[in-house]
Amino acid sequence: MDLLGSLALGLGVALTLQNLLYCFLGALLGTLVGVIPGLGVLAAISMLFPLTFHLEPTTALIMLAGIWYGTTYGGSTASILLNLPGTPANAVTCLDGYPMAKQGRGGIALFMTTVASFFGASFGIILLTLFTPVIAEYALRFGSAEYFALMLMGLVASSTISEGSAIKGLAAVTMGIIIGLVGMDTQTATIRFTFGNLGLLEGISLIALAMGIFGVAEIIMSIRRVHAADIDPESVKLKAIVPTRDDVGRSWFPMLRGASIGSFFGTLPGTGPSIAAFISYAIEKRVSKSPERFGNGAIEGIMGPESANNAADQTAFIPTLSLGVPGSATMALMLGVLMIHGVAPGPNLISDEPELFWGLIMSFWVGNIILLLLNIPLIGVWVRMLTIPYHLLYPAVLMFICLGAFTSGFSALNIWMVAGFGALGYAMRIFRFPGAPLLLGFVLGPLMEEHFRRAMVLARGDFAVFFERPISAVIMAITGLVLIWGVWSSEHLRAKRGARALEREAARRAAHHPEQEAPDGQN
Amino acid sequence: MFRFDYMDALAGALLVLLGIAVTWISVANYPLGTASRMGPGMFPAGLGVVLAFLGVILALQSLRRPGPKPDIRIFSPFFVLGGIAAFAALIVPFGLIPAIFAIIVISSLADLRIRPVSLILSCIGLSLLAPFVFVFLLGLQIPLLRWPF
Repeated sequence: MDLLGSLALGLGVALTLQNLLYCFLGALLGTLVGVIPGLGVLAAISMLFPLTFHLEPTTALIMLAGIWYGTTYGGSTASILLNLPGTPANAVTCLDGYPMAKQGRGGIALFMTTVASFFGASFGIILLTLFTPVIAEYALRFGSAEYFALMLMGLVASSTISEGSAIKGLAAVTMGIIIGLVGMDTQTATIRFTFGNLGLLEGISLIALAMGIFGVAEIIMSIRRVHAADIDPESVKLKAIVPTRDDVGRSWFPMLRGASIGSFFGTLPGTGPSIAAFISYAIEKRVSKSPERFGNGAIEGIMGPESANNAADQTAFIPTLSLGVPGSATMALMLGVLMIHGVAPGPNLISDEPELFWGLIMSFWVGNIILLLLNIPLIGVWVRMLTIPYHLLYPAVLMFICLGAFTSGFSALNIWMVAGFGALGYAMRIFRFPGAPLLLGFVLGPLMEEHFRRAMVLARGDFAVFFERPISAVIMAITGLVLIWGVWSSEHLRAKRGARALEREAARRAAHHPEQEAPDGQN
Repeated sequence: MFRFDYMDALAGALLVLLGIAVTWISVANYPLGTASRMGPGMFPAGLGVVLAFLGVILALQSLRRPGPKPDIRIFSPFFVLGGIAAFAALIVPFGLIPAIFAIIVISSLADLRIRPVSLILSCIGLSLLAPFVFVFLLGLQIPLLRWPF
């Protein structure tokens, strides 16, 4: 099928009344979640996932994807108006967005970031459309050894590159894989790690795990720490939203650079919208002729990062849809959703399920246009959402989490699992282990085992197979480099950061000023 | 601040225990097979070894550096997890509405302030909203109220 035919097919799927409705719903809910601090995108997707059970897989994915890119739009609103990043990917937007709002240019900032978001997303979607089928076709040649190597690379990269200790990231991945092995072994029908519980035969529920580790643990951490914003209604009254000619002129190149940076980092495992936004900000400051304006409301400082994080949101789908190897926890969740709906991810996805693939891509356009139209007129509503006190919000969120877990199987066991994983997630926060690698390991673990065992059968038990086949060898070499670099740099950085933290603590003790805690979220 | 990173040392020790347990269970209960025909025990046994190895590294690193004091809350996790457990225990025998009341009331205690009016209002509001979305809109069969005796 030629590209135009595929696009037309996708547009047809995306524009059916049902898909349009769920795309709208996803984008709306995503924006809402993005605005509210203390509620992450993973928690939102896993919480709303049970609503999509009875839907077609395409519609379900369209809605969940809408939540994913909607949060990035919504997050910028809270960053600019209140200096509170709704999601980590928008944290850097605070630096120049909030000063702009204080100067009475909040309306312009919101308008321009919406444009930047749309621009970045469009850039990402175009790359996604062009490259995914090409990569998938190339990947059809991959055997089990290559797949195992690819998944290993994805897991190693995402656990060592992300913030914090690389060793802890790797430990989280390993725990995730082990949790993924619970239940019946697909090849020998041996029942593993169920301890006699019949409910665990089909394995641990992905939904219960994601809701526990991200939703419940996040809530426990946020109680009595996240407070409803005290907003002066005058400050959010938008005096002007029409940018000056100077604003527009300054915005072109940051948007373009941001979109390129974001698209690049979006496809790599372990990096994502947050890192893309930070790097984009750093580059804009570096190339600017007047870097002293940054931090005081420079429009370049919001256009680059907002374009970058939205582009990264879209290109993150490239490895997920072309190879079936997700690079981030959110993408792992999307992949899990596909598998729960009985769709096998991998390079065959595009040819086997063209409606799903092209429909999803075209729905990104639809969703981004909805968001473009939605964001500006509804700013007042979003700001009001921020004034809902957290003590009213979190019990309701917990209730929906439990109800969602219950309806995904109609057994109380799923709710007990939510409680168990909530406890595990809280313990991981206290010990400062990252949660995202655990989810990635959980989703990829069973696939990895299958490919590993199959590769070993084909190679007659010779481990060298992973290093003899050329593609697999290259991937393994990259994995090795990433591992060494990741462990080295995380220890190096930690030593530096540790020294800085000590200084800060000493300064704080001296000044007796309690430091305000920032809400902690994750992608 | 601690002189050592006690938290990481503890985490490392827990990882070692967990890794050993996983390997032990796999070797004892599931056939290992051979390298060319792997049994269901081989992969998890290997993972257990990897986990224990990472635990050892983490624990060794932790002895060389000072660590921050953890900020552990007792009431927040206790009431949140307690509320979830109550929901899990009540929903099958007693139905949805009692489960909603239980989770809202218990988890609200985590805030360490009791606001009776807003608590009652949110219980009633959610008892109307949740059945509306899940039972009426989505058509799921969840009993609202039940008496098992």
